[in-house]
Amino acid sequence: MQRIFAKAVSARGSLSLQQQHGCLLFSRKLLQKFLVSTVVLIWSLTVMMIYNCCGQLNLVDGKMQYLFDENGRRYLDAFGGIATVCCGHCHPEVMDAIVNQTKRLQHSTVLYLNNAIADFAEALASKLPGDLKVVFFTNSGTEANELAMMIAHLYTGCHDIISLRNGNHGNAAATLGATAQCNYKFNVIQTGVHHVLNPDQYRGVFGSDGIIYARDVENLIAYGTCGRVAGFIAEAIQGVGGILELAPGYLPAVYGSIRKAGGLCIADEVQSGFALSGSHFWGFEAHGVVPDIVTMAKGIGNGIPIGAVITTPKIAKVLTHRTYFITFGGNPVCTAGGLAVLNVLEKEKLQQNAYSVGSYLKERLTVLKEKHESNSSETLSVTFMADSGSIDFVIGDVRGRGLMLGVELVTDRELKTPATVETLHIMDQLKELGVLIGKGGFHGNVFRITPPLCFTKEDADFLVGAMDFTMSKM
Amino acid sequence: MATQRNLLSRSLQAAKSRYRYHQSLRRISSAAAPELPPFGYEPKPYSGPLADQVLEKRKKYLGPSLFHYYQKPLNIVEGKMQYLFDESGKRYLDGFAGIVTVSCGHCHPDVLGAIVEQSKLLQHATTIYLHHAIADFAEELASKMPGNLKVVYFVNSGTEANELAMLMARLYSGNLGMLALRNAYHGGSASTIGLTALNTWKYPIPQGEIHHVVNPNPYRGVFGSDANQYAEDVKDHIDHGTSGQVAGFIAETIQGVGGAVELAPGYLKLVYDIVRKAGGVCIADEVQTGFGRTGSHYWGFETQGVTPDIVTMAKMSDEFDAITVSFLSLTTYIYQGIGNGLPLGAVVTTPAIASVMAQKIQFNTFGGNPVCSAGGLAVLKVLDKEQRQKHCADVGSHLIQRLRDLQQRHDYFLVDALDYSMSKL
Repeated sequence: MQRIFAKAVSARGSLSLQQQHGCLLFSRKLLQKFLVSTVVLIWSLTVMMIYNCCGQLNLVDGKMQYLFDENGRRYLDAFGGIATVCCGHCHPEVMDAIVNQTKRLQHSTVLYLNNAIADFAEALASKLPGDLKVVFFTNSGTEANELAMMIAHLYTGCHDIISLRNGNHGNAAATLGATAQCNYKFNVIQTGVHHVLNPDQYRGVFGSDGIIYARDVENLIAYGTCGRVAGFIAEAIQGVGGILELAPGYLPAVYGSIRKAGGLCIADEVQSGFALSGSHFWGFEAHGVVPDIVTMAKGIGNGIPIGAVITTPKIAKVLTHRTYFITFGGNPVCTAGGLAVLNVLEKEKLQQNAYSVGSYLKERLTVLKEKHESNSSETLSVTFMADSGSIDFVIGDVRGRGLMLGVELVTDRELKTPATVETLHIMDQLKELGVLIGKGGFHGNVFRITPPLCFTKEDADFLVGAMDFTMSKM
Repeated sequence: MATQRNLLSRSLQAAKSRYRYHQSLRRISSAAAPELPPFGYEPKPYSGPLADQVLEKRKKYLGPSLFHYYQKPLNIVEGKMQYLFDESGKRYLDGFAGIVTVSCGHCHPDVLGAIVEQSKLLQHATTIYLHHAIADFAEELASKMPGNLKVVYFVNSGTEANELAMLMARLYSGNLGMLALRNAYHGGSASTIGLTALNTWKYPIPQGEIHHVVNPNPYRGVFGSDANQYAEDVKDHIDHGTSGQVAGFIAETIQGVGGAVELAPGYLKLVYDIVRKAGGVCIADEVQTGFGRTGSHYWGFETQGVTPDIVTMAKMSDEFDAITVSFLSLTTYIYQGIGNGLPLGAVVTTPAIASVMAQKIQFNTFGGNPVCSAGGLAVLKVLDKEQRQKHCADVGSHLIQRLRDLQQRHDYFLVDALDYSMSKL
């Protein structure tokens, strides 16, 4: 810029102040335009890279665990619209409930009574332990977590919220603060949020020792806060973070520390709830704890936009201090859909299916992990030729519970270097074979498998077969 | 002395009004109550839980903060166009449209058809895959926007839309301070509670850097309809309460929750200028005022002759069901909605501002799902096909004229009625 300006000056002789500024302004405008188009271009390329394979797929139809593209080609949906479609795409019972209610009354708000919201709230509350009986309906997981965090602030009168590194709770102001992955964190103020060490059993410094990780929370409360906190929020199995189940013993220890400091414990069940984990209905149940607030979305409505916050009557009272109202929250159509989902989950024993098919799938994936490890050549890895030369990868970890499974790819078993490019490539190849799978983890190197709960053993075989075929070809 | 004279004349006026009111009451008591216009539709028979049962369950399972209208709350089980039906099949004229939301009419056949058809095909897959419904709807929505407002983000509610708009403003400008009007309502999440400026809605939580400026309320405001004076207050806040540079300004062109308060004419033009000079972006909250409801224009901000940098919308999807009358203007405002009651919201902005979102991953799982997008597109088509904006202007003008007559006849009552501000909604 200086060189351009200097050149201009020498060419024209000395410039008046106006001319100088004019020159600069002209260049600045051009530069701004250039920067904007570059950013947009980079953004498009990034989006294309991140959603490489999926970005080219035009899906127009869905039925149970399958999706269909514009040519009528069928794909196995191993991602479930991101852990959302639990009963199956266009499940007849859920669809009927939605369509019938839509024909009757879509929306009137809770200013008036309607049985759909009341019946669904009752059915939902019956699924929760202890005194977790009061339901607030929202439109998304973000809204649910925002509300939960606000309730915690109000109930305790304290400001500090503790969340886990690698957690993801939403993208509004407070939830963006609680979310702890820099790729998702825009550069805006986040107040009162503290991010503690992640009890990551695969990459964490303390392995699977939940108790030692829990000490970081105690330490942080003692030194980083006034000693009293508003609360703690965590997913029992981190979804976006790469299907990371919290180390055993962690939640009970942390819940103890938080409650001692006057805080509330929030369980973010947006992904791990609604029987996805197979062994239990809620993810937190596998850790033997009872939270003070539970948030949910995604699977609650099989894809319809609805979220919920469930807490105790005592805690719920704080919202009576002012007016709290969500226009779309608890509308007849979404709540009728939600109730139908609960009925289907029970009637078709989808939790048991998630457990049995999930366990089977996990076993097969573990065998796959060992197969490619033992099949590999001198380098103990699978090699594939890319433009930049050969790249090695192995399946570093197979983890998760029920039909919430993760497969992490690394280039080195010891160093656990993420095999991000390879992950993208395999994802693309799987699509070609007819399998749609998800991706996550901080480094983008974890396959996320969260299909509709009607997934069968045959589907599991197909999934593993496709992975095996792809990896072997590489 | 002048004060005493003032007080005396005011009490005389009040006394005259009370006399006229009682006279009119006598006239009314002898006249028959008006009847609902005929409507060739019978509601389906209802065999579900009755009001008492539903209320019982609500009290038990839905939290003490959930409130309802009326001493004896209404159990609404069905809707058809501008009418709602209770459990006994009684028909009501819906003058509120699910709070300015049901724009085309309850269960409008075109919108219903689009929703049902799409629900049978694909409810949800997320935007990690392509689907035409979101693209078609975005294109149609963008075509309704002036200037360079061409990039659409779909969310699930007005709150989410305003949250996103505020985030964009802060990132784009590099500044933090937001300006909002007193008496405004922008949402119920942590940040939007900060923007909202009605104490009954504001929980005591940290608000971040928000400056609430004097409301340009032509009816109750200290400067009447003088936009210049009100705009001065904005400049004053910026000069003294901020670094001189701000993130942005957000306002509803007609405050909804705040009581159908139209901003003083010319206000937005002046303020937009001031805010832009201070490096900020201008956000128009059209959650209640958009989609032809004002009758004269498609968007509320157009009535003030401005083009914002970001527009947020939600609620409105169904045609006019609610008519809100501004007592100070000849234009009636009939609220419309983006999805006729579907949980749908949107943020529309320029490519330059949208580009800041590329810094990180921004993803909304339900946002832009096929069913809501198909419903939203059907709504836009109905609004055009059935010329609803023009209808709003016609019926709205007629309604405001009738209300003005009512104001003449019931002077005392209407003074009280105008005193009533919607403390809840």
